[in-house]
Amino acid sequence: MQSPTIWQRMLSIDRRLLYLLLFVNIIVFLIAPIRMPASISPPVQKFYDEIEKLKPGDLVMISSNWSASTLAENQPQLEAVLIHLMRKKARFTFISIEAQSRDISYRLAERLTKTHGYEYGKDWAHFGFVPNLIVAIKGMVNDLPATIKEDVRGTPISQLEVVKGVKSLKDYKMIIDVTPSGTVPIWISYSPKGIPILYCPTSVMAAEAYTYLDSGQITGMITGAKGAQEYEQLLKIEGLGARFANAISFSHVLIIVFILLGNFAMFMNRAQARREA
Amino acid sequence: MSIPYLIAQWQLPQQGRLLYATLVVLGAFVLILGLVPLLQTLPPRGRRVLIVTITFLAGLFFAAEFFLPVDWTAIFPKDDPTRNFLTPAIQPAQNVLQIIGALALGLGTFGLVRLHMRNVVQKRAQWGYSVVLLVAFVTMAIFSILNTLSEKGVVTKTPLLERGFSILFDYTLVQLDAAMFSLIAFYIFSAAYRAFRIRSVEASILMFTAVVVLIGVVPLGAYISYTLLGLPQGPPPENADWWTQFLHSAGLPSIANWILTALNAPAQRAIEFGVGIGGLAMAIRLWLSLERGVT
Repeated sequence: MQSPTIWQRMLSIDRRLLYLLLFVNIIVFLIAPIRMPASISPPVQKFYDEIEKLKPGDLVMISSNWSASTLAENQPQLEAVLIHLMRKKARFTFISIEAQSRDISYRLAERLTKTHGYEYGKDWAHFGFVPNLIVAIKGMVNDLPATIKEDVRGTPISQLEVVKGVKSLKDYKMIIDVTPSGTVPIWISYSPKGIPILYCPTSVMAAEAYTYLDSGQITGMITGAKGAQEYEQLLKIEGLGARFANAISFSHVLIIVFILLGNFAMFMNRAQARREA
Repeated sequence: MSIPYLIAQWQLPQQGRLLYATLVVLGAFVLILGLVPLLQTLPPRGRRVLIVTITFLAGLFFAAEFFLPVDWTAIFPKDDPTRNFLTPAIQPAQNVLQIIGALALGLGTFGLVRLHMRNVVQKRAQWGYSVVLLVAFVTMAIFSILNTLSEKGVVTKTPLLERGFSILFDYTLVQLDAAMFSLIAFYIFSAAYRAFRIRSVEASILMFTAVVVLIGVVPLGAYISYTLLGLPQGPPPENADWWTQFLHSAGLPSIANWILTALNAPAQRAIEFGVGIGGLAMAIRLWLSLERGVT
Protein backbone atom coordinates (compact mmCIF):
# COMPACT_ATOMS: atom_id res chain seq x y z
CA MET A 1 0.00 0.00 0.00
CA GLN A 2 1.27 3.46 -0.98
CA SER A 3 2.21 5.71 1.94
CA PRO A 4 0.23 9.00 2.09
CA THR A 5 1.88 12.03 0.51
CA ILE A 6 2.78 15.11 2.52
CA TRP A 7 -0.32 16.90 1.11
CA GLN A 8 -2.62 14.07 2.15
CA ARG A 9 -1.07 14.07 5.59
CA MET A 10 -1.59 17.81 5.82
CA LEU A 11 -5.24 17.44 4.86
CA SER A 12 -5.85 14.84 7.57
CA ILE A 13 -3.77 16.56 10.22
CA ASP A 14 -4.41 15.42 13.80
CA ARG A 15 -6.72 17.96 15.43
CA ARG A 16 -4.80 17.63 18.72
CA LEU A 17 -1.79 19.14 16.97
CA LEU A 18 -3.94 22.12 15.95
CA TYR A 19 -5.20 22.50 19.51
CA LEU A 20 -1.63 22.42 20.85
CA LEU A 21 -0.48 25.04 18.34
CA LEU A 22 -3.34 27.37 19.25
CA PHE A 23 -2.74 26.83 22.96
CA VAL A 24 0.99 27.67 22.67
CA ASN A 25 0.17 30.67 20.46
CA ILE A 26 -2.30 32.09 23.00
CA ILE A 27 0.03 31.57 25.96
CA VAL A 28 3.06 33.08 24.20
CA PHE A 29 1.24 36.21 23.03
CA LEU A 30 -0.52 36.70 26.37
CA ILE A 31 2.87 36.78 28.08
CA ALA A 32 5.01 38.38 25.35
CA PRO A 33 5.50 42.12 25.87
CA ILE A 34 4.47 42.91 22.28
CA ARG A 35 1.97 45.74 22.04
CA MET A 36 0.49 46.84 18.75
CA PRO A 37 -1.49 50.07 18.70
CA ALA A 38 -5.05 49.53 17.53
CA SER A 39 -6.85 51.65 15.01
CA ILE A 40 -9.83 53.21 16.81
CA SER A 41 -13.00 52.02 15.15
CA PRO A 42 -15.88 54.53 14.75
CA PRO A 43 -18.28 52.74 17.19
CA VAL A 44 -15.64 52.82 19.96
CA GLN A 45 -14.86 56.48 19.30
CA LYS A 46 -18.60 57.30 19.52
CA PHE A 47 -18.83 55.38 22.81
CA TYR A 48 -15.93 57.37 24.22
CA ASP A 49 -17.31 60.70 22.99
CA GLU A 50 -20.72 59.98 24.54
CA ILE A 51 -19.22 59.32 27.98
CA GLU A 52 -17.06 62.43 27.59
CA LYS A 53 -20.30 64.44 27.42
CA LEU A 54 -21.26 63.37 30.98
CA LYS A 55 -21.08 65.96 33.73
CA PRO A 56 -19.91 65.21 37.30
CA GLY A 57 -22.75 63.63 39.26
CA ASP A 58 -24.67 62.35 36.21
CA LEU A 59 -26.32 59.00 36.85
CA VAL A 60 -25.61 56.00 34.60
CA MET A 61 -27.36 52.62 34.59
CA ILE A 62 -25.04 49.69 33.85
CA SER A 63 -26.76 46.50 32.81
CA SER A 64 -24.15 43.82 33.46
CA ASN A 65 -25.36 40.48 32.18
CA TRP A 66 -22.25 38.46 31.61
CA SER A 67 -20.99 35.42 33.41
CA ALA A 68 -17.53 33.85 33.67
CA SER A 69 -17.88 32.18 30.28
CA THR A 70 -17.43 35.51 28.47
CA LEU A 71 -15.15 37.05 31.08
CA ALA A 72 -12.26 37.40 28.59
CA GLU A 73 -14.28 39.87 26.54
CA ASN A 74 -16.73 41.50 28.95
CA GLN A 75 -14.39 42.08 31.91
CA PRO A 76 -11.90 44.33 30.02
CA GLN A 77 -14.85 46.25 28.56
CA LEU A 78 -16.50 46.84 31.93
CA GLU A 79 -13.21 47.75 33.61
CA ALA A 80 -12.36 50.34 30.95
CA VAL A 81 -15.86 51.83 31.00
CA LEU A 82 -15.92 52.05 34.81
CA ILE A 83 -12.54 53.80 34.84
CA HIS A 84 -13.85 56.33 32.32
CA LEU A 85 -17.05 56.90 34.29
CA MET A 86 -15.05 57.44 37.47
CA ARG A 87 -12.73 59.85 35.71
CA LYS A 88 -15.80 61.83 34.68
CA LYS A 89 -17.03 61.67 38.31
CA ALA A 90 -20.29 60.11 37.14
CA ARG A 91 -22.42 58.06 39.53
CA PHE A 92 -23.60 54.62 38.46
CA THR A 93 -25.86 51.76 39.43
CA PHE A 94 -25.73 48.15 38.28
CA ILE A 95 -28.46 45.69 37.43
CA SER A 96 -28.04 42.06 36.29
CA ILE A 97 -30.34 39.55 34.66
CA GLU A 98 -27.60 36.93 34.93
CA ALA A 99 -27.43 35.40 38.41
CA GLN A 100 -23.66 34.87 38.21
CA SER A 101 -23.09 38.38 36.92
CA ARG A 102 -24.64 39.82 40.04
CA ASP A 103 -21.62 38.59 42.02
CA ILE A 104 -19.00 39.05 39.31
CA SER A 105 -19.91 42.65 38.49
CA TYR A 106 -20.43 43.55 42.15
CA ARG A 107 -17.01 42.21 43.17
CA LEU A 108 -15.31 43.78 40.14
CA ALA A 109 -16.89 47.17 40.80
CA GLU A 110 -16.08 46.94 44.51
CA ARG A 111 -12.40 46.33 43.69
CA LEU A 112 -12.16 49.10 41.07
CA THR A 113 -14.15 51.74 42.94
CA LYS A 114 -11.98 51.37 46.04
CA THR A 115 -8.88 52.36 44.06
CA HIS A 116 -10.68 55.42 42.66
CA GLY A 117 -12.07 56.66 45.97
CA TYR A 118 -15.68 55.87 45.14
CA GLU A 119 -17.98 55.14 48.06
CA TYR A 120 -20.69 52.48 47.91
CA GLY A 121 -24.16 53.89 48.35
CA LYS A 122 -22.99 57.45 47.72
CA ASP A 123 -21.32 57.18 44.32
CA TRP A 124 -22.45 53.78 43.13
CA ALA A 125 -24.74 50.90 44.00
CA HIS A 126 -25.69 47.45 42.77
CA PHE A 127 -29.39 46.61 42.45
CA GLY A 128 -28.66 42.90 42.16
CA PHE A 129 -30.31 40.21 40.08
CA VAL A 130 -33.65 40.61 38.32
CA PRO A 131 -35.11 37.56 36.59
CA ASN A 132 -36.99 39.33 33.80
CA LEU A 133 -35.40 42.33 32.12
CA ILE A 134 -38.51 43.46 30.22
CA VAL A 135 -40.64 43.64 33.35
CA ALA A 136 -37.77 45.19 35.32
CA ILE A 137 -37.24 47.97 32.75
CA LYS A 138 -40.97 48.67 32.50
CA GLY A 139 -41.14 48.78 36.27
CA MET A 140 -38.13 51.10 36.55
CA VAL A 141 -39.55 53.43 33.90
CA ASN A 142 -42.73 53.81 35.96
CA ASP A 143 -41.41 53.67 39.49
CA LEU A 144 -37.78 52.77 40.16
CA PRO A 145 -37.88 52.59 43.99
CA ALA A 146 -40.96 50.35 43.92
CA THR A 147 -39.32 48.04 41.38
CA ILE A 148 -35.90 47.69 42.97
CA LYS A 149 -36.85 48.10 46.63
CA GLU A 150 -33.35 47.27 47.98
CA ASP A 151 -29.77 46.83 46.80
CA VAL A 152 -27.50 43.76 47.04
CA ARG A 153 -26.58 44.69 50.61
CA GLY A 154 -30.21 44.75 51.65
CA THR A 155 -30.25 48.53 52.04
CA PRO A 156 -33.64 50.04 51.16
CA ILE A 157 -33.30 52.09 48.01
CA SER A 158 -34.66 55.16 49.79
CA GLN A 159 -31.54 55.17 51.96
CA LEU A 160 -29.09 55.09 49.04
CA GLU A 161 -27.66 58.54 48.41
CA VAL A 162 -26.67 57.65 44.86
CA VAL A 163 -30.33 57.42 43.81
CA LYS A 164 -31.67 60.12 46.09
CA GLY A 165 -34.51 61.88 44.33
CA VAL A 166 -34.55 59.37 41.49
CA LYS A 167 -38.11 58.41 40.66
CA SER A 168 -37.67 56.51 37.45
CA LEU A 169 -35.24 55.43 34.78
CA LYS A 170 -35.98 58.75 33.07
CA ASP A 171 -33.73 60.43 35.64
CA TYR A 172 -30.71 58.56 34.29
CA LYS A 173 -28.39 60.16 31.72
CA MET A 174 -27.16 56.98 30.05
CA ILE A 175 -27.64 53.22 29.83
CA ILE A 176 -24.67 50.90 29.27
CA ASP A 177 -25.34 47.26 28.43
CA VAL A 178 -22.40 44.89 28.97
CA THR A 179 -23.63 41.55 27.73
CA PRO A 180 -22.98 38.44 25.69
CA SER A 181 -26.69 37.91 25.05
CA GLY A 182 -29.39 39.74 23.11
CA THR A 183 -30.49 42.17 25.81
CA VAL A 184 -29.85 45.39 23.93
CA PRO A 185 -33.05 45.20 21.79
CA ILE A 186 -34.96 45.01 25.10
CA TRP A 187 -33.29 48.19 26.37
CA ILE A 188 -33.99 49.87 23.01
CA SER A 189 -37.65 48.82 23.11
CA TYR A 190 -38.54 49.62 26.70
CA SER A 191 -36.15 52.27 28.05
CA PRO A 192 -37.24 55.92 28.05
CA LYS A 193 -36.72 57.71 24.77
CA GLY A 194 -33.85 60.15 24.56
CA ILE A 195 -31.49 58.35 26.92
CA PRO A 196 -28.40 57.20 24.97
CA ILE A 197 -27.75 53.47 25.02
CA LEU A 198 -24.16 52.26 24.81
CA TYR A 199 -23.42 48.63 24.07
CA CYS A 200 -20.56 46.28 25.04
CA PRO A 201 -21.19 42.95 23.32
CA THR A 202 -18.90 40.00 22.78
CA SER A 203 -17.32 39.90 19.31
CA VAL A 204 -19.71 37.24 18.13
CA MET A 205 -22.75 39.38 19.03
CA ALA A 206 -21.42 42.60 17.54
CA ALA A 207 -22.34 41.80 13.92
CA GLU A 208 -26.04 41.92 14.81
CA ALA A 209 -25.72 45.32 16.48
CA TYR A 210 -24.53 47.28 13.42
CA THR A 211 -28.17 47.75 12.39
CA TYR A 212 -28.89 49.55 15.70
CA LEU A 213 -25.74 51.63 15.32
CA ASP A 214 -26.82 52.59 11.83
CA SER A 215 -30.25 53.66 13.04
CA GLY A 216 -28.83 55.59 15.99
CA GLN A 217 -30.66 53.44 18.54
CA ILE A 218 -27.25 52.57 19.97
CA THR A 219 -24.91 55.51 20.33
CA GLY A 220 -21.64 53.59 20.61
CA MET A 221 -20.27 50.09 20.83
CA ILE A 222 -17.19 48.38 22.27
CA THR A 223 -16.70 45.08 20.45
CA GLY A 224 -15.20 42.35 22.62
CA ALA A 225 -11.65 42.42 23.96
CA LYS A 226 -10.42 44.14 20.82
CA GLY A 227 -12.84 47.02 21.41
CA ALA A 228 -11.70 47.14 25.03
CA GLN A 229 -8.12 47.53 23.84
CA GLU A 230 -9.14 50.47 21.64
CA TYR A 231 -10.96 52.01 24.60
CA GLU A 232 -7.94 51.53 26.86
CA GLN A 233 -5.88 53.26 24.19
CA LEU A 234 -8.27 56.22 24.23
CA LEU A 235 -8.06 56.32 28.03
CA LYS A 236 -4.27 55.96 27.83
CA ILE A 237 -4.22 52.98 30.21
CA GLU A 238 -3.05 49.43 29.77
CA GLY A 239 -5.56 46.92 31.02
CA LEU A 240 -6.67 43.41 30.23
CA GLY A 241 -7.97 44.41 26.79
CA ALA A 242 -4.50 45.09 25.34
CA ARG A 243 -3.16 41.72 26.48
CA PHE A 244 -6.20 39.77 25.38
CA ALA A 245 -6.37 41.56 22.02
CA ASN A 246 -2.73 40.70 21.44
CA ALA A 247 -3.42 36.98 21.90
CA ILE A 248 -6.54 37.26 19.72
CA SER A 249 -4.56 39.07 16.96
CA PHE A 250 -2.00 36.32 16.66
CA SER A 251 -4.64 33.59 16.98
CA HIS A 252 -6.35 35.14 13.96
CA VAL A 253 -3.02 35.05 12.11
CA LEU A 254 -2.57 31.38 13.01
CA ILE A 255 -6.07 30.56 11.78
CA ILE A 256 -5.46 32.42 8.49
CA VAL A 257 -2.09 30.71 7.98
CA PHE A 258 -3.69 27.31 8.46
CA ILE A 259 -6.63 28.14 6.19
CA LEU A 260 -4.13 29.05 3.45
CA LEU A 261 -2.04 25.95 4.18
CA GLY A 262 -5.14 23.76 4.00
CA ASN A 263 -6.10 25.21 0.64
CA PHE A 264 -2.56 24.91 -0.67
CA ALA A 265 -2.44 21.25 0.40
CA MET A 266 -5.80 20.64 -1.28
CA PHE A 267 -4.61 22.11 -4.61
CA MET A 268 -1.28 20.25 -4.48
CA ASN A 269 -3.08 17.00 -3.68
CA ARG A 270 -5.44 17.50 -6.62
CA ALA A 271 -2.53 18.32 -8.96
CA GLN A 272 -0.65 15.23 -7.86
CA ALA A 273 -3.71 13.03 -8.31
CA ARG A 274 -4.18 14.45 -11.83
CA ARG A 275 -0.54 13.81 -12.69
CA GLU A 276 -0.73 10.25 -11.44
CA ALA A 277 -3.95 9.66 -13.37
CA MET B 1 -59.02 54.44 41.24
CA SER B 2 -58.48 51.18 39.37
CA ILE B 3 -58.18 47.69 40.89
CA PRO B 4 -54.58 47.19 39.59
CA TYR B 5 -53.66 50.46 41.30
CA LEU B 6 -55.14 49.27 44.59
CA ILE B 7 -53.28 45.94 44.26
CA ALA B 8 -50.02 47.82 43.60
CA GLN B 9 -50.55 50.02 46.63
CA TRP B 10 -51.44 47.17 48.98
CA GLN B 11 -48.92 46.84 51.82
CA LEU B 12 -48.72 44.56 54.82
CA PRO B 13 -49.52 46.37 58.09
CA GLN B 14 -46.40 47.57 59.88
CA GLN B 15 -47.26 45.87 63.18
CA GLY B 16 -46.57 42.12 63.09
CA ARG B 17 -45.31 42.41 59.51
CA LEU B 18 -43.08 39.32 59.78
CA LEU B 19 -45.96 37.23 61.08
CA TYR B 20 -48.26 38.41 58.31
CA ALA B 21 -45.58 37.78 55.68
CA THR B 22 -44.96 34.25 57.01
CA LEU B 23 -48.69 33.55 57.01
CA VAL B 24 -49.04 34.85 53.46
CA VAL B 25 -46.12 32.70 52.23
CA LEU B 26 -47.42 29.61 54.04
CA GLY B 27 -50.94 30.27 52.77
CA ALA B 28 -49.68 30.59 49.19
CA PHE B 29 -47.66 27.40 49.61
CA VAL B 30 -50.66 25.46 50.93
CA LEU B 31 -52.81 26.91 48.16
CA ILE B 32 -50.36 25.81 45.47
CA LEU B 33 -49.99 22.36 47.06
CA GLY B 34 -53.74 22.09 47.16
CA LEU B 35 -54.16 23.34 43.60
CA VAL B 36 -51.99 20.60 42.09
CA PRO B 37 -54.21 17.65 43.21
CA LEU B 38 -57.27 19.74 42.39
CA LEU B 39 -56.00 20.24 38.85
CA GLN B 40 -55.26 16.52 38.61
CA THR B 41 -58.89 15.71 39.35
CA LEU B 42 -60.10 17.86 36.49
CA PRO B 43 -60.79 16.08 33.20
CA PRO B 44 -58.16 16.86 30.48
CA ARG B 45 -60.66 19.05 28.63
CA GLY B 46 -61.37 21.15 31.72
CA ARG B 47 -57.66 21.44 32.48
CA ARG B 48 -57.04 22.65 28.94
CA VAL B 49 -59.77 25.27 29.16
CA LEU B 50 -58.30 26.55 32.43
CA ILE B 51 -54.74 26.75 31.10
CA VAL B 52 -55.84 28.35 27.81
CA THR B 53 -57.88 30.97 29.70
CA ILE B 54 -55.04 31.87 32.10
CA THR B 55 -52.51 32.04 29.24
CA PHE B 56 -54.83 34.26 27.20
CA LEU B 57 -55.57 36.63 30.08
CA ALA B 58 -51.88 36.91 31.07
CA GLY B 59 -50.90 37.65 27.46
CA LEU B 60 -53.76 40.10 27.07
CA PHE B 61 -52.65 42.02 30.15
CA PHE B 62 -49.10 42.61 28.89
CA ALA B 63 -50.24 43.37 25.33
CA ALA B 64 -52.96 45.76 26.49
CA GLU B 65 -50.61 47.53 28.91
CA PHE B 66 -48.07 48.05 26.11
CA PHE B 67 -50.43 49.02 23.29
CA LEU B 68 -53.04 51.13 25.06
CA PRO B 69 -52.45 54.85 24.49
CA VAL B 70 -50.21 56.23 27.20
CA ASP B 71 -51.87 59.58 27.65
CA TRP B 72 -55.08 58.96 29.62
CA THR B 73 -55.49 62.50 30.89
CA ALA B 74 -58.51 62.99 28.60
CA ILE B 75 -60.32 60.13 30.33
CA PHE B 76 -58.79 60.36 33.80
CA PRO B 77 -57.81 64.04 34.14
CA LYS B 78 -56.16 63.57 37.53
CA ASP B 79 -54.12 60.54 36.52
CA ASP B 80 -50.41 60.58 35.66
CA PRO B 81 -50.24 61.21 31.88
CA THR B 82 -47.28 58.83 31.46
CA ARG B 83 -49.20 55.68 32.42
CA ASN B 84 -52.44 53.96 31.51
CA PHE B 85 -54.79 52.27 33.98
CA LEU B 86 -52.98 48.90 33.71
CA THR B 87 -49.47 50.27 34.31
CA PRO B 88 -49.60 50.18 38.15
CA ALA B 89 -50.18 46.41 37.95
CA ILE B 90 -46.89 45.86 36.12
CA GLN B 91 -44.98 45.76 39.39
CA PRO B 92 -47.16 43.07 41.01
CA ALA B 93 -46.91 41.17 37.71
CA GLN B 94 -43.12 41.27 38.03
CA ASN B 95 -43.40 39.88 41.54
CA VAL B 96 -45.61 37.06 40.24
CA LEU B 97 -43.07 36.29 37.52
CA GLN B 98 -40.28 36.24 40.11
CA ILE B 99 -42.27 33.80 42.25
CA ILE B 100 -42.93 31.55 39.26
CA GLY B 101 -39.21 31.68 38.41
CA ALA B 102 -38.28 30.79 41.99
CA LEU B 103 -40.75 27.90 41.96
CA ALA B 104 -39.26 26.62 38.69
CA LEU B 105 -35.75 26.90 40.17
CA GLY B 106 -36.83 25.01 43.27
CA LEU B 107 -38.48 22.35 41.15
CA GLY B 108 -35.34 21.97 39.02
CA THR B 109 -33.12 21.74 42.10
CA PHE B 110 -35.39 19.13 43.64
CA GLY B 111 -35.34 17.06 40.44
CA LEU B 112 -31.55 17.28 40.13
CA VAL B 113 -30.91 16.29 43.76
CA ARG B 114 -33.46 13.45 43.61
CA LEU B 115 -31.89 12.02 40.43
CA HIS B 116 -28.36 12.04 41.81
CA MET B 117 -29.39 10.82 45.25
CA ARG B 118 -31.02 7.87 43.55
CA ASN B 119 -27.80 7.26 41.56
CA VAL B 120 -25.78 7.15 44.78
CA VAL B 121 -28.23 5.06 46.82
CA GLN B 122 -28.68 2.49 44.06
CA LYS B 123 -24.96 2.64 43.15
CA ARG B 124 -25.77 3.06 39.46
CA ALA B 125 -23.04 3.35 36.79
CA GLN B 126 -20.65 6.25 37.50
CA TRP B 127 -22.38 7.05 40.79
CA GLY B 128 -19.12 8.67 41.99
CA TYR B 129 -19.84 11.66 39.75
CA SER B 130 -23.19 12.05 41.47
CA VAL B 131 -21.41 12.18 44.85
CA VAL B 132 -19.13 14.92 43.49
CA LEU B 133 -22.15 16.85 42.21
CA LEU B 134 -24.05 16.58 45.49
CA VAL B 135 -21.04 17.56 47.61
CA ALA B 136 -20.23 20.50 45.29
CA PHE B 137 -23.88 21.55 45.22
CA VAL B 138 -24.29 21.56 49.01
CA THR B 139 -20.92 23.25 49.67
CA MET B 140 -21.48 25.99 47.08
CA ALA B 141 -25.05 26.56 48.25
CA ILE B 142 -24.00 26.92 51.91
CA PHE B 143 -21.18 29.37 51.19
CA SER B 144 -23.20 31.32 48.63
CA ILE B 145 -26.26 31.72 50.87
CA LEU B 146 -24.08 32.70 53.85
CA ASN B 147 -22.16 35.19 51.71
CA THR B 148 -25.38 36.81 50.49
CA LEU B 149 -26.69 36.98 54.05
CA SER B 150 -23.41 38.53 55.23
CA GLU B 151 -23.68 41.18 52.48
CA LYS B 152 -27.09 42.05 53.86
CA GLY B 153 -25.69 42.13 57.40
CA VAL B 154 -27.79 39.20 58.62
CA VAL B 155 -24.75 37.05 59.52
CA THR B 156 -21.18 38.07 60.34
CA LYS B 157 -18.64 37.92 57.53
CA THR B 158 -15.95 35.70 59.08
CA PRO B 159 -12.53 35.24 57.40
CA LEU B 160 -13.44 31.57 56.80
CA LEU B 161 -16.63 32.56 54.98
CA GLU B 162 -14.88 35.25 52.94
CA ARG B 163 -11.96 33.01 51.98
CA GLY B 164 -14.17 29.97 51.40
CA PHE B 165 -16.55 31.84 49.10
CA SER B 166 -13.63 33.42 47.24
CA ILE B 167 -12.00 30.00 46.65
CA LEU B 168 -15.27 28.44 45.52
CA PHE B 169 -16.58 31.32 43.42
CA ASP B 170 -13.60 33.33 42.14
CA TYR B 171 -11.01 30.60 41.90
CA THR B 172 -13.16 27.59 41.02
CA LEU B 173 -16.55 28.33 39.46
CA VAL B 174 -15.49 31.40 37.48
CA GLN B 175 -12.31 29.74 36.18
CA LEU B 176 -14.05 26.48 35.24
CA ASP B 177 -16.83 28.35 33.47
CA ALA B 178 -14.34 30.48 31.53
CA ALA B 179 -12.26 27.41 30.62
CA MET B 180 -15.32 25.53 29.35
CA PHE B 181 -16.36 28.42 27.09
CA SER B 182 -12.84 29.02 25.79
CA LEU B 183 -12.74 25.47 24.42
CA ILE B 184 -14.89 26.78 21.57
CA ALA B 185 -11.83 28.62 20.19
CA PHE B 186 -10.08 25.28 19.66
CA TYR B 187 -13.05 23.82 17.80
CA ILE B 188 -13.31 26.97 15.68
CA PHE B 189 -9.63 26.67 14.72
CA SER B 190 -10.00 23.00 13.76
CA ALA B 191 -13.27 23.63 11.91
CA ALA B 192 -11.86 26.66 10.03
CA TYR B 193 -8.88 24.60 8.88
CA ARG B 194 -11.12 21.84 7.52
CA ALA B 195 -14.07 23.88 6.21
CA PHE B 196 -12.62 27.00 4.55
CA ARG B 197 -11.71 25.43 1.23
CA ILE B 198 -11.83 27.15 -2.16
CA ARG B 199 -14.17 24.71 -3.89
CA SER B 200 -16.46 27.21 -5.66
CA VAL B 201 -16.73 30.93 -6.45
CA GLU B 202 -19.06 31.45 -3.45
CA ALA B 203 -16.66 29.64 -1.12
CA SER B 204 -13.78 31.78 -2.43
CA ILE B 205 -15.72 35.01 -1.77
CA LEU B 206 -16.62 33.79 1.70
CA MET B 207 -13.04 32.86 2.50
CA PHE B 208 -11.58 36.08 1.16
CA THR B 209 -14.09 38.18 3.14
CA ALA B 210 -13.45 36.16 6.30
CA VAL B 211 -9.69 36.60 5.99
CA VAL B 212 -9.99 40.38 5.45
CA VAL B 213 -12.30 40.78 8.48
CA LEU B 214 -10.20 38.43 10.64
CA ILE B 215 -7.10 40.54 10.07
CA GLY B 216 -8.82 43.92 9.70
CA VAL B 217 -10.57 43.92 13.07
CA VAL B 218 -7.50 43.14 15.17
CA PRO B 219 -4.55 45.47 15.86
CA LEU B 220 -2.38 43.47 13.47
CA GLY B 221 -4.49 44.74 10.58
CA ALA B 222 -3.77 48.32 11.57
CA TYR B 223 -0.07 47.51 12.00
CA ILE B 224 0.20 45.94 8.52
CA SER B 225 -1.78 48.75 6.83
CA TYR B 226 -0.50 51.87 8.55
CA THR B 227 2.97 50.91 9.85
CA LEU B 228 4.28 48.33 7.39
CA LEU B 229 2.56 49.57 4.21
CA GLY B 230 2.51 53.22 5.30
CA LEU B 231 -1.09 53.85 4.23
CA PRO B 232 -2.65 57.08 5.53
CA GLN B 233 -4.96 56.66 8.55
CA GLY B 234 -8.31 58.36 9.17
CA PRO B 235 -10.70 60.13 6.80
CA PRO B 236 -9.22 61.82 3.69
CA PRO B 237 -8.86 65.61 3.69
CA GLU B 238 -11.52 67.67 1.97
CA ASN B 239 -11.16 68.07 -1.83
CA ALA B 240 -8.67 65.20 -1.94
CA ASP B 241 -8.11 63.56 -5.34
CA TRP B 242 -9.43 60.05 -5.99
CA TRP B 243 -6.03 58.43 -5.36
CA THR B 244 -5.70 60.01 -1.89
CA GLN B 245 -9.27 59.00 -1.11
CA PHE B 246 -8.49 55.46 -2.25
CA LEU B 247 -5.36 55.28 -0.09
CA HIS B 248 -7.28 56.48 2.97
CA SER B 249 -9.85 53.73 2.56
CA ALA B 250 -7.46 50.95 1.49
CA GLY B 251 -6.29 50.01 4.99
CA LEU B 252 -7.45 46.63 6.27
CA PRO B 253 -9.38 48.16 9.24
CA SER B 254 -11.29 50.46 6.85
CA ILE B 255 -12.15 47.58 4.52
CA ALA B 256 -13.22 45.39 7.48
CA ASN B 257 -15.36 48.23 8.82
CA TRP B 258 -16.94 48.73 5.39
CA ILE B 259 -17.75 45.00 5.17
CA LEU B 260 -19.34 45.11 8.64
CA THR B 261 -21.38 48.26 8.09
CA ALA B 262 -22.21 48.19 4.37
CA LEU B 263 -22.54 44.45 3.73
CA ASN B 264 -23.20 42.84 7.10
CA ALA B 265 -25.64 45.38 8.56
CA PRO B 266 -28.25 45.24 5.73
CA ALA B 267 -28.11 41.43 5.72
CA GLN B 268 -28.54 41.38 9.52
CA ARG B 269 -31.45 43.80 9.23
CA ALA B 270 -33.19 41.52 6.76
CA ILE B 271 -32.62 38.52 9.04
CA GLU B 272 -33.91 40.46 12.06
CA PHE B 273 -37.08 41.46 10.18
CA GLY B 274 -37.66 37.82 9.35
CA VAL B 275 -36.95 36.70 12.91
CA GLY B 276 -39.21 39.46 14.26
CA ILE B 277 -42.16 38.46 12.09
CA GLY B 278 -41.56 34.80 12.94
CA GLY B 279 -41.40 35.67 16.64
CA LEU B 280 -44.65 37.61 16.39
CA ALA B 281 -46.38 34.67 14.70
CA MET B 282 -45.03 32.28 17.33
CA ALA B 283 -46.07 34.60 20.17
CA ILE B 284 -49.63 34.80 18.81
CA ARG B 285 -49.76 31.00 18.48
CA LEU B 286 -48.55 30.59 22.08
CA TRP B 287 -50.90 33.27 23.37
CA LEU B 288 -53.90 31.66 21.73
CA SER B 289 -52.68 28.17 22.77
CA LEU B 290 -52.55 27.07 19.15
CA GLU B 291 -49.05 25.65 19.57
CA ARG B 292 -49.04 21.90 19.97
CA GLY B 293 -47.97 20.63 23.39
CA VAL B 294 -48.85 23.84 25.24
CA THR B 295 -51.53 22.13 27.26
